[in-house]
Amino acid sequence: MKRTLITLAVVVVMFSLAASAGTISGKVSGVTGESVVYVEAVAGKTFPAPTEKPLIDQKGLMFTPHIVAVEQGATVEFLNSDTVAHNVFWISVGGNKKLGHNLGTWPKGEKRAFKFDNPGAIPLLCNVHPEMSGYIVVSPTPYFVITDKSGSYKIDNVPDGSYTVTAWHEGAKNSSKPVTVAGEGKADFTLTK
Amino acid sequence: MRSRGSMFVLALLLLTPFLLTTSSLAIPAFSRQYGTSCTTCHVNFPKLNDFGKAFKDAGFKFPKDDESFLKVPPVMLGAPAQKELWPHTVFPGTIPGLPPIGLRYNQFFQYTPNSANNYNPAGSVDPTNPTVPRTDFESGLFSIFMAGNFGSDIAFWVDDDLSVSGANSNGGLGDGYLKFVNIGRFFKLPTDSLSLRVGQFELDLPFSQARSINISPWDIYTEANIGFSPTQNVNNVMGMADGMQGFEISGGHQYRGYHYSLAVVNQNTSGTTTGAANVSSPGGFFSDSNYKDIYGRFSYRFNLEKDPASRNEIQAAGASGPRDHTSLSLGTFFFKGRSVQRFNGIDATDNATVLTAREPFYRVGGDFSFNYRTLNLFGLYMAGHDDNLLCQDTTGTVVPCSGGLGATLTPGSAAKFNGGFLEADYLVLPWVMGILRYDRVQSSADFLNAGIGSSTNYFSPVGSTRNRVTPGVQFLIHANIKASFEYSIRPQQALAYDSNGKAINPFRTSTAAGALEFVY
Repeated sequence: MKRTLITLAVVVVMFSLAASAGTISGKVSGVTGESVVYVEAVAGKTFPAPTEKPLIDQKGLMFTPHIVAVEQGATVEFLNSDTVAHNVFWISVGGNKKLGHNLGTWPKGEKRAFKFDNPGAIPLLCNVHPEMSGYIVVSPTPYFVITDKSGSYKIDNVPDGSYTVTAWHEGAKNSSKPVTVAGEGKADFTLTK
Repeated sequence: MRSRGSMFVLALLLLTPFLLTTSSLAIPAFSRQYGTSCTTCHVNFPKLNDFGKAFKDAGFKFPKDDESFLKVPPVMLGAPAQKELWPHTVFPGTIPGLPPIGLRYNQFFQYTPNSANNYNPAGSVDPTNPTVPRTDFESGLFSIFMAGNFGSDIAFWVDDDLSVSGANSNGGLGDGYLKFVNIGRFFKLPTDSLSLRVGQFELDLPFSQARSINISPWDIYTEANIGFSPTQNVNNVMGMADGMQGFEISGGHQYRGYHYSLAVVNQNTSGTTTGAANVSSPGGFFSDSNYKDIYGRFSYRFNLEKDPASRNEIQAAGASGPRDHTSLSLGTFFFKGRSVQRFNGIDATDNATVLTAREPFYRVGGDFSFNYRTLNLFGLYMAGHDDNLLCQDTTGTVVPCSGGLGATLTPGSAAKFNGGFLEADYLVLPWVMGILRYDRVQSSADFLNAGIGSSTNYFSPVGSTRNRVTPGVQFLIHANIKASFEYSIRPQQALAYDSNGKAINPFRTSTAAGALEFVY
């Protein structure tokens, strides 16, 4: 009897886990190229900081990749692969100018790291090459994705529940929508500049 | 009493912003090829920052790994393997993937106080004298320029003013040259110690007029040495910022350490009988002999960064990003030439002949530049000296050379000038620059209305200078569009003084000028 109960409990837990691993999918339109879609903060829920350190390279007078999405608390490394001096700075995080920061200058082949503890979009700039442009989008939850170039996206492993989902695109106004995930949720966005 | 010289100098003063602003050279073609902003190379176009100087030194390419920065690959003029056939040549080379063309246009507005016309008082108006408009709109230059690198460290540059002040084909060729960068490698010399430039070019001046951000040029660069007839016969119209034809060897760097150049260029010939027998150059000069002028320059720049690694880099590693070095440059330059004038004259038997006055001259000077963050303080001093040959008739009496009675030439008093400028450029914001400059020129020609030997001078009651103080401000509307303002404050001047020494009909040629320009 005891073994039966344990087996039943394991099955229930497994079913409940399977049920929580839902998805949110849809399409971002009205803009061209990659966007970032992420689940806004969930009240009463916190997430451990990720251990991966995404890398943004400065190569050929460009930030590569152009857009990086990370979870809040992530550390991003900045590499200079060019033979010219570069700089990385941002004037705001999510529009909050108090969170602007300048990482300074470092030579070819070296990296500098920064931990992003505040959510929001961060426009990256170089003070000697004003045409250089890059973005980090810091998601408050681990549920985020960069769309493909057509705007289609799918966020995996989202527990069932009700969320607010936000779409971000370079130069466009953010758009947010409520989404209920019961195994799967759908949210399409039409962004405007 | 006023002479051709006085009108010449006055015209320089009054029309400087319109007619004498030289081609400012910023190269949008490089922006297109490298996908980068003007500010990569320019503090405030066309003034170069440290990286821009290194880019230019390297032959209009990135000093290292140039190909990794090119967004538009060059067109190969032969497979790389061709080089195996001729390993010791520079064959086959490349051409830029895009036509490396840039265009520039500027326009001006000038305001001059009405009193400026008092130099031409009522009752004694010389109809040939220019009248100074109080306000004036003027179109400036429309220029085309092309520059790049053909591979194998062979750089090229051609710029031409298609029109000046709205007149077609009024400008002509500015610079046009090929530069063979780092040819010292063929002689196992240190890297960048020897390059060769051939064609027509602005001399390697301490501060390039072509890359000056000012609306009006530095007066000392446009100073022509004009003597006072009949006691002086010098008529050397060469200005240091003129395009010169010849070749130049150079080495070192503009952004650190030593830099030198030595140029051999055509001499300058003028006079009533020049022309058909001589070869006309695009710069308006005539060269009639094998004599060549020589220009040399040496400078040393001390980068003053504390961090030794940063000190030797092209740009300093500032706490908030790369920037120009804190630095001090000291330099000197010397130009030795010969000015040739020809006159109709007569020989001992009263037959018509041609008198040729060959008047050696030199220009010598020194310069400094101090840079701290976004403040650049720099200056230059130059002195000019022209030997002076006068015409004398068959009796040995000095006569005007223009009269056709000259039989022989005799030495006269040399025509001299000196002066220079001090300038401070402060980049307040990446798009706002404040400028304060002081120009001073003191020359024989500044005694024009009184003649040699008189203490009265024309351009200033307090000294024989035509100095000016010029504050200015410039705004980059975009990286390639600029609005500039400057106000040249000149001393009060007068043609005559009463018995109490008070100026009669005093005037000022202070001038406010605004300019809008764009490159694309």
